[in-house]
Amino acid sequence: MPGDPVAAIAARMAQGMSNATGVQAVYEQYTELFGTDKPIPEQFVIYLRNVLRGDFGYSISQYPRTVGDVISSSIGWTLMLQLPAILVGWILGNLLGALAAYIRKGFDRVLMPASLFLSNLPAFGMAVILLVIFAVNLKWFPTSGGYDYAMVPSASWEFMWSVIVHYQLPFWSIVLITIGGQAIGMRSMAIYELNADYVKYARFLGVKDSKIIRYVFRNAMLPQITGLALSIGTMVSGALVAEIIFSYPGLGNTILTAVRGGDYPLISATTLIITWMVLLAFFSLEILYGLIDPRIKAAQSE
Amino acid sequence: MRYMLGQIFSSVRFRIGFSIFAFILLTVLIYPLIITEPPLKTISRGTFLSPGIYVNVYDSIGFSPQYTLLLDGAAERRIAAKLNADDRASMKEWLVKAGLPEESIDTQDTAALLEVWHANFDPTIRLPGMTNADRNYYIRLNTALDGLLATEGATIAVPDATTGALKEQAVVDQTSYVNIYEVPNSRVFPLGTDNFGRDVLTELVAATGVSLIIGFVAGTVATVIGLLLGLISGFLGGFVDDAIIFVTNLFTVIPSFIILILITFSIGQDKRGAITIAVVIGLTSWVWTTRAVRAQVISLRNRDHVNLSRLSGHSTAYILMADIFPYIASYVVMAFILQVSSGILAEAGLSILGLGPRTTEVPTLGLMMNWGMIYQAHILGKWWAYFPVILVIALITFSLNLMQTGLDRVFNPTLRE
Amino acid sequence: MTTPMTRAMLEVNELTTRYITRFRESIYAVDHVSLSVGDGKSLGIAGESGCGKSTLALSLIGYYFPPLHYTSGEIIIDGRTITGMDPDEVRKTILGREISYIPQAAMNALNPTQRIIHFIEDVVLAHHPGTPKKEIYERARERFELLGLPASVLQKYPVELSGGMKQRTVIATSVILSPKVLIADEPSSALDVTSQKMVIKMILDLMDKGIIKSLVFITHELPLLYNVTDDIMVMYAGQVVEIGSADEIVFDSVHPYTRALMGSIIVPEKGLRDVKLTAIPGTPPNLKNPPSGCRFADRCKYVRPECRVAPVDLHETASGRVYRCIIPEQELRTLYEHEKR
Repeated sequence: MPGDPVAAIAARMAQGMSNATGVQAVYEQYTELFGTDKPIPEQFVIYLRNVLRGDFGYSISQYPRTVGDVISSSIGWTLMLQLPAILVGWILGNLLGALAAYIRKGFDRVLMPASLFLSNLPAFGMAVILLVIFAVNLKWFPTSGGYDYAMVPSASWEFMWSVIVHYQLPFWSIVLITIGGQAIGMRSMAIYELNADYVKYARFLGVKDSKIIRYVFRNAMLPQITGLALSIGTMVSGALVAEIIFSYPGLGNTILTAVRGGDYPLISATTLIITWMVLLAFFSLEILYGLIDPRIKAAQSE
Repeated sequence: MRYMLGQIFSSVRFRIGFSIFAFILLTVLIYPLIITEPPLKTISRGTFLSPGIYVNVYDSIGFSPQYTLLLDGAAERRIAAKLNADDRASMKEWLVKAGLPEESIDTQDTAALLEVWHANFDPTIRLPGMTNADRNYYIRLNTALDGLLATEGATIAVPDATTGALKEQAVVDQTSYVNIYEVPNSRVFPLGTDNFGRDVLTELVAATGVSLIIGFVAGTVATVIGLLLGLISGFLGGFVDDAIIFVTNLFTVIPSFIILILITFSIGQDKRGAITIAVVIGLTSWVWTTRAVRAQVISLRNRDHVNLSRLSGHSTAYILMADIFPYIASYVVMAFILQVSSGILAEAGLSILGLGPRTTEVPTLGLMMNWGMIYQAHILGKWWAYFPVILVIALITFSLNLMQTGLDRVFNPTLRE
Repeated sequence: MTTPMTRAMLEVNELTTRYITRFRESIYAVDHVSLSVGDGKSLGIAGESGCGKSTLALSLIGYYFPPLHYTSGEIIIDGRTITGMDPDEVRKTILGREISYIPQAAMNALNPTQRIIHFIEDVVLAHHPGTPKKEIYERARERFELLGLPASVLQKYPVELSGGMKQRTVIATSVILSPKVLIADEPSSALDVTSQKMVIKMILDLMDKGIIKSLVFITHELPLLYNVTDDIMVMYAGQVVEIGSADEIVFDSVHPYTRALMGSIIVPEKGLRDVKLTAIPGTPPNLKNPPSGCRFADRCKYVRPECRVAPVDLHETASGRVYRCIIPEQELRTLYEHEKR
């Protein structure tokens, strides 16, 4: 079988063995371990059963580590990076979009084409540009990794500081990418709300502009939660690629090593985990939205 | 039709987007007619040659007519290129460490500096705090200083075949020049070469073409599937609608990029051609078109003209094509434009993960980006190997999105401000 | 002749306002309009859609924001000139307190994500900062109950209310600070007949219970005005074409446009039922460049060459009728008589 990943491990393990039967024995031992000696449908059923028990098997490229072990060491980095970055980007984007809708002239004219261009920049493009400017040229931040490789992970201040320094560039590149699209959505939403009848009515009853802006911002922002829920999959995908650019020790690099190592168990488990994370985020956001927007509550009770 | 085109082109956004896109498209079409070299041909030995004009040295000494030009400051520039400010500071540092008074060294006066240097420098001395690397640097620097202030020309000599003695063949004066156009061999690399020694510009143009085709194929596949499912689901309703909408919802929340990773990974490197990748991208990105088309069809299916058509006994296929499609055509076009741009981005993302088209046939924007990253062009400061790629991707998606929003404003007057 | 004058609550002199479009064109939607509404009196404003009556409603409030701009003229509320005042001062001391407004589309007039009571709090606090929430709630509850609305409405979101309920909530909210003058812009046009009746009754109640002192009621339904207001003003292309008591305008109008307007409406009133229903041919002029002469000339049955020469002024006849036409009252009446036969 060409490109057989198990054969690759067996060859690695059998290095230095001279007799053919010994090599063959090693190969058989590993095909049994990975279950590739059984027919494909049976392999699939076994795999499904194991996954349901939370057992993803052994990683091929990082043998003898298990898939669960590889993923659990990287998932935390991805969560810690992407969750705050997407949230911060979403909030900043909404603020800027609302501001652009409110101020319009000048500000709008500069900010909108800029965010339109920004939002069209692929996530990896933004990552590379930030990396070149701030890590390679200005040398303010390190170019890669989640912490200084000379350090051993510990609860010390130095290690924390190293993590924080390594965190900045990946974080801000995800934030900047998120801002663009959100600002554009928020701006058109806010312009629509600013022209709503309730704005006019509140003005005619003498309600302060600052109060009215608050109404508009809130009403325009609520649907943006659904917008976030719908685009979270795309955002996470982009952020995973950005992680790779920075060699951040998260799931993005796990996928990369899995692809390079032809590691089937690892790649299926990683994609499964990411899908679950996205689904979880999606449903949490939908539930949150249903709880805080009275328009939805009323529609449901009807 | 003419009126509609006039309407569309009256939108500033559309005009800007269209101009950028047309420029890129024309470049992709015309460039290969002028430069016919294959884009993946390795031209240079050594990687990442920087952008510039490369002139054959052998030709310029041997065959081209030489001219004498008397340019002001030529000698200073020559010296500055060989001995820069950092080198001068290092020399001063050595001399001070060797015990010379600091104020006696003037780094600006090249002749004086060299005189002090030659009088004092001794490669065998090891000064305190000097590493091996430092010492080697000073030895290299010292060698480079030879002939720095020379005013005579460089002599070219060849060994005699029998005696082995060097025989003078030509002298190149410091005031000798050649005309680049008269040198038989020269080559322009506007964007340098990449890690494999290929011309980046030629490669980039070809990659843009392939990426556009990938986007176009992906967009077409996604639009056709999305349109068909949307039409069927919206028009027929009932169980078919429920089934389609269930699948659509499922694909909405599962990130399509993740599905893409799984599929392309399973296909395997050897079987992944550019078109295969494009079709797979198309197969995973029809969801939004389906949703948009379905919503439109539902609002249309009970309009009077549709009911009339139904009463006159027209078939479902006829009604869909004649009575419904014209109303949703503008949405389909807009969705298609977005699909093209997201298709190009998806290919780039996949290629960076190493899941792009196989690398031996055609370049794509994603593959170029991938090569640049693997060979660390960004960390080595070789901007020409990755920045133009990012710029082209951004310009293509930017122009397509501008065209889309421009169209949106023409077709949905409520969005106009 | 309008109804006998009491102390004027709202007086408007030669008010002109315009829209400035994004192409920097001016559209004079309210063109030198003068009117006066006495204490305890009501004025109806009628006209086809696009005649400027809704813009007039917005203009009367004296608080302008783009694209509507104040141009000239004055607005006096209970002896106080509000034109020329600092806009923030107008917002604080005039809006809602001296003059208030019921919008055309009450469906969307309330912020969908805010409870009614919270909006009322915002309104009251904008004028009387520091009022305790408890006091505001008490006042709102009292006012709502006085107007026949359950206090439970206060705790609801607008989406939880029916259309008619929403409109009545808007009315009650508009008068929460007991304004002297209330401008109602087609408050009943989007409602079903039952809700319409309730809304009209509620507005009349506001007058009877002394919550407001004067009312300006705008509608395209002339007959409705006959039942609601004392005086009626008819507008065409941004200008007043005729003004008089409700009886005069409905049963005995002078201006050809008022006649045509009455003729184009099905009127259930006695004595008018046998009038033939005729639509007015043509469309109102484009206000970007209005015609130089009489603005109604193109659609008028009785048009004469001199109509198109110079602008026609609003004038008062010896018998006390006020209208905008160059043909004398008697001559017009003869023309109308001929037509009947």
